[in-house]
Amino acid sequence: MKPARPGSRAHNSLTPYVTGHRDAACIRSRQFSCYTRTLRSEDKVTIHFINRDGLKMTVKATPGDSLLDVVIDQNLDLDGFGACEGTLACSTCHLIFEEEVFKTLGPITDEEMDMLDLSYKPTDTSRLGCQICVHKSQEGMTVHVPESVADLRQPDVGTTSSSS
Amino acid sequence: MALVKKMLHLYLRRLSEKAENRRSLLRAAAFHKHSAGQPPPAAEENALPENRVPSAAATGRDTPAKTLNEMPGPNTISNIIEFFYRDGFSRIHEIQQQHSKKYGRIFKSRFGPQLVVSIADRDMVAEVLRAEGVAPQRANMESWKEYRDMRGRSTGLISAEGEDWMKMRSVLRQLIMRPRDVAVFSDDINAVVADLVTRVCQLRRKQPDGLTVLNVNDLFFKYAMEGVSVIMYEQRLGCLEERIPQQSLEYIAALHLMFSSFKTSMYAGAIPVWLRPFIPKPWREFCHSWDGLFKFSQIHVDRKLSEIRARLAAGEEVKGGMLTYLLVTKEMTVEEIYANMTEMLLAGVDTTSFTLSWSIYLLALHPQVQQRIYEEVERTLRPGQVPVSEDIPRMPLIRGLVKETLRLFPVLPGNGRITQKDLVVGGYLIPAGTQLALCHYSTSLDEENFPGATEFQPERWVRKDATDRVDNFGSIPFGYGIRSCIGRRIAELEMHLALTQLIQNFRIQVSPLTQVVRPKTHGLLTPGAPINVQFVDRL
Ligand code: HEM
Repeated sequence: MKPARPGSRAHNSLTPYVTGHRDAACIRSRQFSCYTRTLRSEDKVTIHFINRDGLKMTVKATPGDSLLDVVIDQNLDLDGFGACEGTLACSTCHLIFEEEVFKTLGPITDEEMDMLDLSYKPTDTSRLGCQICVHKSQEGMTVHVPESVADLRQPDVGTTSSSS
Repeated sequence: MALVKKMLHLYLRRLSEKAENRRSLLRAAAFHKHSAGQPPPAAEENALPENRVPSAAATGRDTPAKTLNEMPGPNTISNIIEFFYRDGFSRIHEIQQQHSKKYGRIFKSRFGPQLVVSIADRDMVAEVLRAEGVAPQRANMESWKEYRDMRGRSTGLISAEGEDWMKMRSVLRQLIMRPRDVAVFSDDINAVVADLVTRVCQLRRKQPDGLTVLNVNDLFFKYAMEGVSVIMYEQRLGCLEERIPQQSLEYIAALHLMFSSFKTSMYAGAIPVWLRPFIPKPWREFCHSWDGLFKFSQIHVDRKLSEIRARLAAGEEVKGGMLTYLLVTKEMTVEEIYANMTEMLLAGVDTTSFTLSWSIYLLALHPQVQQRIYEEVERTLRPGQVPVSEDIPRMPLIRGLVKETLRLFPVLPGNGRITQKDLVVGGYLIPAGTQLALCHYSTSLDEENFPGATEFQPERWVRKDATDRVDNFGSIPFGYGIRSCIGRRIAELEMHLALTQLIQNFRIQVSPLTQVVRPKTHGLLTPGAPINVQFVDRL
């Protein structure tokens, strides 16, 4: 059991222990690891993302971060990606992996499978980015960000009433 | 304007192309069955799986979207008769099905000034939910907000909108939405399950046959209440004791009042403010039950707060769960905490208990299915072993049981969304600000989505392997996306652990006292009559 969120506005004199809250995955612990990270940039892993328009974006990611963290940290412009912040309530961080890499990804939980069922056109090598942690063995891998959301939204053009 | 039309046109093209792709996929699939190279015979092609055309295909390639005026649906008068005169409110789930058969998978209805567009199609529901923005809106919550303003209360997750909602949701989801964060509550929940099992034994002893528990929902209501509060308030309430503490009794009364006055409170929101002096009762009851609910959470939150203060004053370490965390980190104000505790308790009790009641009823009606689940439990756990969250993945039929129960009896037979942008759904242009009703009951029981739809088959949810997909937008009992049920993982944990232990300990049988029980809508989909079942010892 870890102490509650380190960076939050906790009362100084308190050391709250939160039984239900196993420190929110990678996002929180990163705040501790910044120091070591900047020191050892050679440990970073190169990952290529191919976005929904087929554009390739290459980033250096830190082992242990989730792929959702990577997208957020590196400010990759992927509309609607990771809407529920990695809490397994949506499938907007759906990613498609190369077959060889896919086999090396960790086990998949029932909850992730259920959410993948609801993703837009899942494939045999689909996973949710929030559940995949960056690992050295993934050096140079390419992941595809499939089409997912935003197809029904009307383009923003000011008038939104039904006048036609 | 021309630009709008052009974009719309392009957009529709894309959608109908998708439909086209899908159809050719179907063709390809059928093709596969024939000897390579031979095109399938034409007759065969027509016999494809109903040529299930996705919504947008209805528009055809170049047809512009139709307007709401062109959308079919029952007229206002017949709706008024159906709902107010023939008490359609208790049959909303059936009317949903009838209307979608009669008017199609998307239709409109009017309730006075309120226009509602109902969607009873799996793919259209998916389209709508996938297109959601950052703060989706479910329905007009004016009457809830009005009560809160009047009493100087905050809104909670259910009643809040926009920024307020986003802020609270992002705090709460970090605490109770991740399955692994919720898994740590297994032991707390198991303590409640132990009491549940004991209570079953006590209750059945009171019956002449020594086996029957009358109206199991009463028992599961108390279990669910105890379960939610052990997680949220970090405290037991004593609901499963022979003598329930006064405070908890009062709370139960307030919940029942809220529930029984559901219909009136619906009217309470609908009755214009200036009419209230003439028809005061609905609004009065509405306020009265909220008063009771808020009072209860305030007592428990305040108690925790003073406990924390006392510990601090004594220089002791503060440890705790969700409530402690919220009170200590101050990421939400105390008023926001009261409101969320109140709304979560309201949302978390009946939902879970109805689902448990239906599960038990279905198990009793289907002894063979029950036996298969029992055997799976026996294979997986040692005799007498108390299951924890980590054991559930090894018992796929337990998860299948809960999913199948919620498919046949979705506690929320329909859900709402107010569109925040113009959308084209099913070939209709739906302007921003339209109230949608997503008809989950209809899609759950749709033969196209679930073959053998009226049959109880927990196995249908069991995967052969990790890439075996179950296309299940037809049954999303907790919703989907960022505004979906925040208590989902808590509810699942409570249900998985309770059902496993009940199946482990008892053979569940229909009691001769129980006739066929049908569902009835009362805000939620509830058992229409008491479910009485026999619990026979397995050992
Ligand atoms: C079988 C049990 C349950 C079912 C079937 C269920 C179902 C649902 C559904 C369908 C929604 C609406 C989602 C949407 O609009 O997309 C919802 C919302 C909600 N539920 Fe549940 N629920 C259950 C248990 C619980 C529990 C145990 C809690 C509390 C711990 C809870 C708290 C909530 C809250 C607070 C919301 C509003 C969320 C928001 O607007 O952000 N529910 N639930």
